[in-house]
Amino acid sequence: MDLATLISKGLVGPLTAPPPREAAFPYGLGRHGLHEIAETGYGDRAAITGFLLATAPRPSRRSILLWVTQASTARDMGRLPEAALREATGGQARRLGLVTRHAGDALWAVEEAVVSGAVSHVIAEVDAADFTATRRLTLASERHGVPVTLLLPHTCEGATAALTRWRISPQPSSPNRYDPRAPGHARWRAHLERCRPAPTLVGQAFDLEWNDETLSLDMVSGMAAGPSAPRQAPYPSGYTNRKAS
Amino acid sequence: MAAANKAALAAGVHPGLRFTDARATLPDIASEEIDRESDRKALGALAAWMVRFSPLVAIDGDDGLLLEITGCDHLFGGEERMAGELSARLARAGYGHRIGIAGTVGAAWAMARAAAEEGRPALLSSGAERAGLATLPASALRISTAAETLLRRFGLTRIGQLYDIDRKALTRRFNSRQAADAVTLRLDQALGLRSEPFAPFRQPPDHSARISCPEPLTDTAGISAGLEKLIETLCRDLSADGLGAQSFLFQAFRSDGEVSAIRVNSARPARAPEHIMRLFGEKTSGIDPGFGIDLLLLEAFRTGTMAAGSRPLSGDLSGNDPDEEALAALADRINARLGEGAVTITLPQARHPVQVAEKTVPFGGQEMDGALPPGNLPGLRPARLFERPERVDVIAEVPDGPPLRFVWRRKVRRVVRADGPERISPEWWTYLPSQAGDKASLPRTRDYYRVEDEEGRRYWVYRDGLYGDGRGQTPEWFVQGLFA
Repeated sequence: MDLATLISKGLVGPLTAPPPREAAFPYGLGRHGLHEIAETGYGDRAAITGFLLATAPRPSRRSILLWVTQASTARDMGRLPEAALREATGGQARRLGLVTRHAGDALWAVEEAVVSGAVSHVIAEVDAADFTATRRLTLASERHGVPVTLLLPHTCEGATAALTRWRISPQPSSPNRYDPRAPGHARWRAHLERCRPAPTLVGQAFDLEWNDETLSLDMVSGMAAGPSAPRQAPYPSGYTNRKAS
Repeated sequence: MAAANKAALAAGVHPGLRFTDARATLPDIASEEIDRESDRKALGALAAWMVRFSPLVAIDGDDGLLLEITGCDHLFGGEERMAGELSARLARAGYGHRIGIAGTVGAAWAMARAAAEEGRPALLSSGAERAGLATLPASALRISTAAETLLRRFGLTRIGQLYDIDRKALTRRFNSRQAADAVTLRLDQALGLRSEPFAPFRQPPDHSARISCPEPLTDTAGISAGLEKLIETLCRDLSADGLGAQSFLFQAFRSDGEVSAIRVNSARPARAPEHIMRLFGEKTSGIDPGFGIDLLLLEAFRTGTMAAGSRPLSGDLSGNDPDEEALAALADRINARLGEGAVTITLPQARHPVQVAEKTVPFGGQEMDGALPPGNLPGLRPARLFERPERVDVIAEVPDGPPLRFVWRRKVRRVVRADGPERISPEWWTYLPSQAGDKASLPRTRDYYRVEDEEGRRYWVYRDGLYGDGRGQTPEWFVQGLFA
């Protein structure tokens, strides 16, 4: 039996490969596999960018991000400035940028980067990614050990092969200790819509606070003024609703 | 009249004649408006095609091409055979031509124009210029018409007659020193007594490889196979010299005188055959073989030494070290498909105004540094920065309060909390482009506020200008970005 067969059967794996399942927050986001982060409503792009920077593992000094953006998104919602990226990563991030006209080109570049193994994390902002595309990227990402994160608009719906899909909405910021009239640390509600590593957690909402000085992400309880019940999420295919049965 | 064909010349119509005179001589003359622009283009295309004979090709005037064939002629079996092949190919492509070969540019020029005829190239071996040019008319010396007329008046019509005349005596007969110098310079250049610079129309390659096909290629598969072989040969040459190249030009010469060219670039010097082949990728299908391609040429430009370094045994052993080479290779592949300069990096600049604080440049394999700028305060820069600020209607306290309400993207945003201002002054040395009739002026000072609306969205808004800064209109408000 040759090496390729052994690898394909999962008997042999690279030494640095992460464990196949992660059952703790954020369920492998930015560590391995393909993940999706989506806007809740129009204009939440900044919140999903912040959530990504906050949850993705802190880049080491030698790691490189490839940030692929579809031109329509860049025109509409701007880009992540280098200053904010460096702040959020503690001055460690090195980023290659790419702006493509079509979603297809963006996804092609993502796959190319994953296969090349030259970058440590690929982030893509595209209008839409269908099931086939996400399946393909998931396989490539798992085979080559390069995590991929898709930032999607609020219109994205339906099936995905990604490990998780998060839906982020901004929340009123934390009280500012020094000036009550000024905004404090950013807060978001992260709603877990899909989660392959832990299917029972689908529908769970996390209230999070991002401290941009200590670069720490904290869970906050009972911060929202409104009802804290998570909204009903569509169940992934193959998952039977226990309440209904 | 700019040019005339054989029949016209026989009837006594020659270039330089006025058109009315020509028509008087030959009433049923067929004429066409001269189109110098198209001529130049056609000559340029022909020059590009001539690269198959010699890497050094220069365009000479409106109707001439110069080829430096030193060291090239033996590839075709000698000067005579080369001239024959050149002639045959030009004839097949439908060009009227005269070919002269000589040891100096001036002598070749004279031979081509005064001695050669179509299908009968004129050859002059090196060192025989003096004897070979003696019988040619003085007009073959590349001198001005005025000088030529003057020489004719003295009875000097042949180049040979100029050899024995004392230079001083010759100079005295011209009314200006420059005119005399021009004649002696051209004479000396033709005889090889003074050197003449050769300005090729394209930069000669640093390395090249070629395949000539005895049987013309007509399909893409054949072209790809040929390219693969060429890349292998070229990469072997490059690695023998310890070099890599950043730019590769692949040219396919069609037998009917057309050339298709594909260029690929690399961020760093490269010489790995499979990488270069991938860069060419699907582009080879864009080559139209027409009636058949009989020569493939691959050239390497911008060669440089390869960064030497031992590579890890496998990707798993390299730890966290990114493979700079793999990164450059990835950027090359993306650039090859999505256009040159698609992959970029953003570099911070030591400047305050937001729109110039960062510069996005094409990634060229350079070292990247992610360090934080000194004196950085967290939380002051937004997570999304718009390409251009968006003007908004605002209700705000005058003169320097934060906005209370504003309309952004057709929705009213009620500000709950606000922080600021952060005042960013323009650079005093940067002026706005001056409007018609206006003096050039500085941009206005901007006051930036971080504001949060009822829904928890955070914006970066600014007021362009201050109240009472004596700059005309009331300051306007803009949204520059969104905070996380």
